[in-house]
Amino acid sequence: MLQQDNDILLEMAHDIQDTYGYIPEREITQLAEKFSEPRAKIYGALEFYSMLYTEPTGKYIVRICDSISCFLHDSDEVLEAVQDYLELESGETSDDKLFTLEVVECLGHCGEGPVMMVNDRMYTELTSGRAIEILSECQ
Amino acid sequence: MVQERKFLKGPRLRNPADYDFPGLQRALKMEPEEVIQEISESKLLGRGGAGFPTGTKWDMAFKEEGEFKYIICNADEGEPGTFKDRYLLDERTLKVLEGMLIGAYVIDADYGYIYIRGEYFKSIKILQEALEEAREAGILGENILGSDFSFDIKLVRGAGCYVCGDETSLLNSLEGMRGQSRTKPPYPISKGLCGCPTLVNNVESLACVAEILHQGASEFATMGTEDSKGTKLVCLSGDVNYPGVYEVEFGSSTLQEIITDLGGGPRKSHDIKFVIPGGLSTRILTRDKLDYKYSYEGLEEAGSSLGSGGVMVVGSEQDLTAILTRIARFYMDESCGTCFPCREGNQQIYKIISRVGKGKFTVNQLEIIEDLGNAMAEAARCGLGQSAQYPTGTILAEFKEELVEGAVY
Ligand SMILES: Cc1cc2nc3c(=O)[nH]c(=O)nc-3n(C[C@H](O)[C@H](O)[C@H](O)COP(=O)(O)O)c2cc1C
Ligand code: SF4
Ligand code: FES
Repeated sequence: MLQQDNDILLEMAHDIQDTYGYIPEREITQLAEKFSEPRAKIYGALEFYSMLYTEPTGKYIVRICDSISCFLHDSDEVLEAVQDYLELESGETSDDKLFTLEVVECLGHCGEGPVMMVNDRMYTELTSGRAIEILSECQ
Repeated sequence: MVQERKFLKGPRLRNPADYDFPGLQRALKMEPEEVIQEISESKLLGRGGAGFPTGTKWDMAFKEEGEFKYIICNADEGEPGTFKDRYLLDERTLKVLEGMLIGAYVIDADYGYIYIRGEYFKSIKILQEALEEAREAGILGENILGSDFSFDIKLVRGAGCYVCGDETSLLNSLEGMRGQSRTKPPYPISKGLCGCPTLVNNVESLACVAEILHQGASEFATMGTEDSKGTKLVCLSGDVNYPGVYEVEFGSSTLQEIITDLGGGPRKSHDIKFVIPGGLSTRILTRDKLDYKYSYEGLEEAGSSLGSGGVMVVGSEQDLTAILTRIARFYMDESCGTCFPCREGNQQIYKIISRVGKGKFTVNQLEIIEDLGNAMAEAARCGLGQSAQYPTGTILAEFKEELVEGAVY
């Protein structure tokens, strides 16, 4: 039976990630012990979620929405400019581990596209120039 | 001139110290059956997309027996074109909590979860604070508002999977598994979280409940049409001048009027090419089909559905294949991979469409896409696969001349 408070895997995984930036192996082992499940099962579950990382990511995770409403406001141009600037394709992390770039689906700010998230910050009504300016300030 | 009808919208409501929860106060003085009666009389339909009558659902949940009972607020809003739950979570935070508390009281739930999409960082913070303050103010915890009703809520962050918005995937996700959908029946109402009876409602549905208990079912039912009572939060986006969340009384206006009067008409002197009226997973409506009243039955008559309330307006100069590519990519990326037709079908469709690029479709390609879409509609387990063909299929059908090689129609 589900206890009511602190044993939701997803929440625990988020908390671990908030601390380490990703979910390290040893934490997966501990989660497996806590839930009395095989490690592979925990790992398999975590792998399902695109916002959970079992490998270190860049210091800044850059998420750009290229879903329909943002595309209608030229998100493709912003995306291209960012890809050129970071020299990354979707899913890649820069060698200096500063940036991870992800092209994502709708972020729920469709009326303010194009939109980009840098870690937990949301930037709306972007132009290519503004997007690069924001990224150039990420050190 | 269409105007907003503000029933759900209102001033920011985040701090329990500034709010006396009138809907909950009233509900706590009523028998659960009476509250259900009131919700049923309001004829509220679930706002999460499927439009199931909330009163009926609550009545079923009330009658279910189980060692534990749960209530879940579905705040996983991920349907492209939809951002109204975010408005409610951020601005009308306590109304959402209030709706949930009323639901918990009525079905005698032991515990509640708000499952919120992980990307809504700001809303998550707002909710965390509101829950904390609600506990301090005695709105959550033991003996709520001095009654003998006790209840608490945990906020759970999703992690980037659209399919977890489906209530059965959401349950698996909460149970610590991959967010893959379950076969129905059994429905969550009888066998939900960990096999216990579980009531899942959308954010907007719960906010409606709070207002219905406060303002009364009769007030709610004066708004709208026979089959669509109340108001709807409409999310306008795409090629309109004034995108945003607008609250519209059902039946008071047509889609065209909403786009013109509230959205300020098409952007950049575009004409409208088509509209996706209910979030991505609905059939498109071409320009000539925008004169139906905005209501569940009106949009159905027009050939589509109201869905989540996400109205995406596409201007005449937009590139159809680029749009189709993105739609196909969405379903391919978000398929949870459990059933073969959805997993493979969406990959194939994406391959075909992305290969077309700036060229034209062959009649053969069109037929393959149609076949795959039909196979998914029939054999896919959840709404994602079943509805994947709606936008794609209708765009291809409506704009054949433009899209197909040497087409003479
Ligand atoms: C793929 C898929 C995604 C869904 N996403 C959401 C969502 O983000 N929010 C939501 O409330 N309902 C969503 N639903 C509908 C839920 O399964 C469920 O019907 C709804 O939460 C019930 O609440 P309601 O009766 O208040 O509308 C989704 C369904 C499917 C098939
Ligand atoms: S239809 Fe698609 S998303 Fe739904 S259960 Fe099947 S594979 Fe998963
Ligand atoms: S389409 Fe980009 S945020 Fe919704």
